[in-house]
Amino acid sequence: MSAPQSSRALQRGALGMVLLVLAWEGVARGFNLPAYTLPSVSAILGSIFDHRTTLFLAGAYTFAEAFSGYVIGAVIGIALAVVITLIPMTRNAIVPVATSINSVPVVAWSPLILLWFGIGMPSKVVMVALAVSFTVFLSALAGLDRVDRRSVDLMRSFGAGRLAILFRLRLPTALPLIAAGLRVSTVRAVIVAIVTEMLGAYDGLGWVIYQAVLQVDFVKVWSAIFIASAASLAFFGLVGLAERRLVFWK
Amino acid sequence: MTTVLSHAPMGAHYTKKKEAGLPVSIQGSGEAALAAKAAGASDAAQILSLTGVTKTFGATRALDGFTATIDKGEFVTVVGPSGCGKSTLFNIVAGLEEPDPGCAMRFEGNSVIAADLLGRVSFMPQRDLLLPWRTVIDNAILALEVEGAPRKEARALAEKMLPEFGLTGFGQQYPHQLSGGMRQRVALMRTFLFKRDLMLLDEPFGALDALTRTMMQRWLLDVWQKHQRTILFITHDVDEALFLGDRVLVMSARPGKVKLEQKVDLPRPRPAEIVISPEFIRLKRTLLEAIEEEAMKSFTAEGK
Repeated sequence: MSAPQSSRALQRGALGMVLLVLAWEGVARGFNLPAYTLPSVSAILGSIFDHRTTLFLAGAYTFAEAFSGYVIGAVIGIALAVVITLIPMTRNAIVPVATSINSVPVVAWSPLILLWFGIGMPSKVVMVALAVSFTVFLSALAGLDRVDRRSVDLMRSFGAGRLAILFRLRLPTALPLIAAGLRVSTVRAVIVAIVTEMLGAYDGLGWVIYQAVLQVDFVKVWSAIFIASAASLAFFGLVGLAERRLVFWK
Repeated sequence: MTTVLSHAPMGAHYTKKKEAGLPVSIQGSGEAALAAKAAGASDAAQILSLTGVTKTFGATRALDGFTATIDKGEFVTVVGPSGCGKSTLFNIVAGLEEPDPGCAMRFEGNSVIAADLLGRVSFMPQRDLLLPWRTVIDNAILALEVEGAPRKEARALAEKMLPEFGLTGFGQQYPHQLSGGMRQRVALMRTFLFKRDLMLLDEPFGALDALTRTMMQRWLLDVWQKHQRTILFITHDVDEALFLGDRVLVMSARPGKVKLEQKVDLPRPRPAEIVISPEFIRLKRTLLEAIEEEAMKSFTAEGK
C-alpha cells in the first residue's frame, strides 16, 4: 500500500470513529438512557479518568498475560509446523490431535485449565497460548506447504540439506502467512485472556469487568471494555507494522 | 588446420594436449587433436556419459535408453518436441531423480548414481526461481552460502561479476524490480558462481522475447568461452541449438532417446549473421526434418 492510500484509509477510519462517537453521545443523552442500558461516551471517558490507576494496572496485567501467552503460543505453533515439515511422518499424528483439541471453543477448556494451573496468571497464559498456537500452527503449516517444489529441487542441486532448505527457503516463503496468522492472533490473545479472567482471576481487565457487574457499575464495565479494545487495537497495529517491515517483498 | 583448432572445445581437451609436451606449432597440435579424437573419447576427456538411461513414472515411460557422452569443455544442446522427457533427463543429471535400475552413468571418470550428482553439477531450471526476499547479490551467492562460504567473501565475488552479467548497479535491487532478461541473468550468475565443471541449463531463455533472447545467446557464448565450463543446454528452438552448440542431440518423442546426433562445425566465435549462412541452413534442414517427424509422432500420440 502506498503512503497516500494508507493515510486516506486512516482519515476515513478516524472520520467513521468520530461519527460513531457523536451518534452514541446523541442517542444516550437525547433519549436520556439509563447507564445500565447505554452510558454516554463522555460518562465512560470520565469514568476511565476516575479509575485510571486501577484500569491501567488491570490493563497492564491482562496485557502481560496476553503477550506472554501469545509469544509461547506462537513459538509452539511455528515449532510444530516446522517439525511436520522436517519429519513428514509426524503430520498424521500432530494434525488430528491439534484439530481435536481446537474443535471446541478454547473457553470450554478454561475450567480444567483453571483447575490445573490455578486462579493466578499461569492459567491465563496457558489459555492464550492454546488459542494462539493453533491459529499460528495452521497458518505456518499452510505457508511451509506452499513452497515451490522446483525451488526445493534447486536448493537440493546445490547440495543443500533439510536444515539449509528450511532456513533459506521454507521459512522465508512461509513468512507472509505466518505473519498474517500472528496478526490475527493478537486480538484473539486479548479476548481469551479477558474471558478467562472473568471465569476466575485475582486481577486484570476481565476481573474488573466481573467485579463491576456485581457492583452494578455499568459505566465501569464500559470503561474496562474501552481500555481492552484500545490495548487490542494497539497490539494488532504494532504486529501489523512489524509484518509490513518483515514481509517487504509482498 | 587452423580452423579445426579454433573450433576445438576448450577446457581439459585442449590443456591436456599442452601438458603432454606436444610440439607447439599449430600444425603439430592440430594433428594431435585429430589423433586424440580418433582414439575415441578417452575417459579423461569425458565429463559425463549416460548409457541406456530409462525412467518410468507409473505407466508412462519418459526416457527409454538415452545414451550420450559429453566431453569436457563442450557445449552440447538438446532439442526435442515438448514432453519428450528433456526435463526428466535434466533432473536425473542434476541428481534430483534416480533413473530406473539397469543403466550406467559415469561422471568425471567414476561410475555414479544420480544422488551422487547432487551438489556436483550446476543446474539452472527453466524458471529463474529467484528468492524475492534476497537482493540480486544475495540471490547470486545462494549456492555459495549453502556450500558454507563466508557471506562477505561470496558477496565480494558476486559484486565483481556484476558487470560481466550486465547487472552493474543492480546488486542491491530485489528481483521484482528487474526485467525478465535481467532476472534470467541473475539466475545464470547464480549458476556460474556455483563453480562446477558441468552446467545444466534448462531452456534458460525460453520466456524471453526474440530480441533479448538473441542478445542473451551471444552473451552466453562469450561468458562460456571465458569461464571454460561444460554446458548441457535444453531448448526447443532449433536456431538456438545450432547457434550455441558444438553438438546437437535431437530427442525422439516420448519415450525420449537420442534420435540424431549432429556435430556443428561452425567456426567460433560465431557472428549473429551465421544463422543465414548456407552451412547453418543446411544443418537446420537436417535437424528440422528429424524434429518434424518426432513432433508429428507426439502430436498424433496425444490425439489418441
